[in-house]
Amino acid sequence: MSTHDELKANGAGYVLGSLDAHEQREFEAHLAGCAECKAEVASLRPLISVLATSVPQVTPRSELRERILGAAAGLKRSGAEVGPQTRPRPHLYALHDRKAPPALVWLPLAAAIVIAVGAGIYALRLQRQMGDLQARFDQEQSAAAVLAAPDLARIDLQGQPVAPDARARALWSRSRGLVFTAANLPPAPPGKAYQVWVVTAQMPISAGLLTTDPTGGGSQYYVTPPDIAPPVAVAVTLEPSGGVPSPTGERYLIGMP
Amino acid sequence: MWLLAALVRMQPAAGSQAEDVESLRLVVSGDQAAAAGLYDRHSRGLYSLILRIVGDEREAEDVLQEVFVQAFRQAGRYDASRGVVAAWLLMMARSRAIDRLRARRTRVEGRTGEVQVLNDVPDSQPDVASAMLGEEQTRLVRQALDELPLLQRMAIELAYYEGLSHSEIAQRLEQPLGTVKTRIRLGLLKLRDVLAEGQA
Repeated sequence: MSTHDELKANGAGYVLGSLDAHEQREFEAHLAGCAECKAEVASLRPLISVLATSVPQVTPRSELRERILGAAAGLKRSGAEVGPQTRPRPHLYALHDRKAPPALVWLPLAAAIVIAVGAGIYALRLQRQMGDLQARFDQEQSAAAVLAAPDLARIDLQGQPVAPDARARALWSRSRGLVFTAANLPPAPPGKAYQVWVVTAQMPISAGLLTTDPTGGGSQYYVTPPDIAPPVAVAVTLEPSGGVPSPTGERYLIGMP
Repeated sequence: MWLLAALVRMQPAAGSQAEDVESLRLVVSGDQAAAAGLYDRHSRGLYSLILRIVGDEREAEDVLQEVFVQAFRQAGRYDASRGVVAAWLLMMARSRAIDRLRARRTRVEGRTGEVQVLNDVPDSQPDVASAMLGEEQTRLVRQALDELPLLQRMAIELAYYEGLSHSEIAQRLEQPLGTVKTRIRLGLLKLRDVLAEGQA
């Protein structure tokens, strides 16, 4: 049997839907009689809508609309027609019914409208496509995606003589990037910063700078080029505060796969 | 130029709850235009969430279809006291996408008889209504999420988008289960407090 504090810690996981079946049953039973936990769950629930909508927005293919609405229509009455095709188009009939102005006037006007609409639709589609491409890219690039990557590799780093107590871990996926977590680094002196390196057989490649908190810990997500050669080591050096293109300073942490 | 500007500005209308409820009511009686309306208002948001979770366009399309078919079939059972339609649909989408992801993981790793981690989320939470936050509130929370310590944010994202259980997250991060639970809770409490401050 779990204590109240242990159960309370499960409230957030309950809201996120990340409890296992046993934890979930136990928590629900507890929730029924605990006003405190019930209030906490209620206060956290609205945050979930933010997670649900904080993803890169991508428009589904337009063919999908017909397919899905067709499948949905099949549920009720097979063979029923769906969607916009069945709707009348009153404005087209209206155009025919009206007394037509001389072609000389309306033909260039119609052509101009067709071109303007075409350009507008094209611009809209182009804008969407660009947005979608960017969204696809953003999607691959996140720290959580690295940890769920099928090609995840782990490299543990050891403190070097200047900082024997320092420790770090690099989690790297070729396709998704690098998550780097360090602990016990001495504070970087003014004008200096820690820089993380992915060392390949050819050369060290800068992953980026690492900011540490007062306890000497820090974690950072870095994008790495997908065509990078297999790393032979990951290292941290102390460099001038803006960072440098190749390592010049003292080595603080080194690890090999 | 005004025409071009008007076309570019033209985005699918963000459907109001009243409109969605009315559409669901009509869908029950077989109204196809109402079904199309729901699709037009929500497909982009749902598809984006599903795609973020399953990471594959074809699978995301299949899941989107499952979600709409389920929603249209269960339209009569929708209960407004349990949340707005948009949140109801998003919950279904997340739940089905995670099911898909877990089935794939089980296939890939060749594990069978794995404990079912996720239950049907909508049905297991009958007591609390879920609302959608407004634009400004969403912006505040999003910003706060970006500013969370990386490990807190990562644990939250692994739980929500990757469908990992607390114990799976603990394994991946090689940290005690208690630490992971605390991290997730502290992260969410921080987001909640930002929201509360924003409303005050």
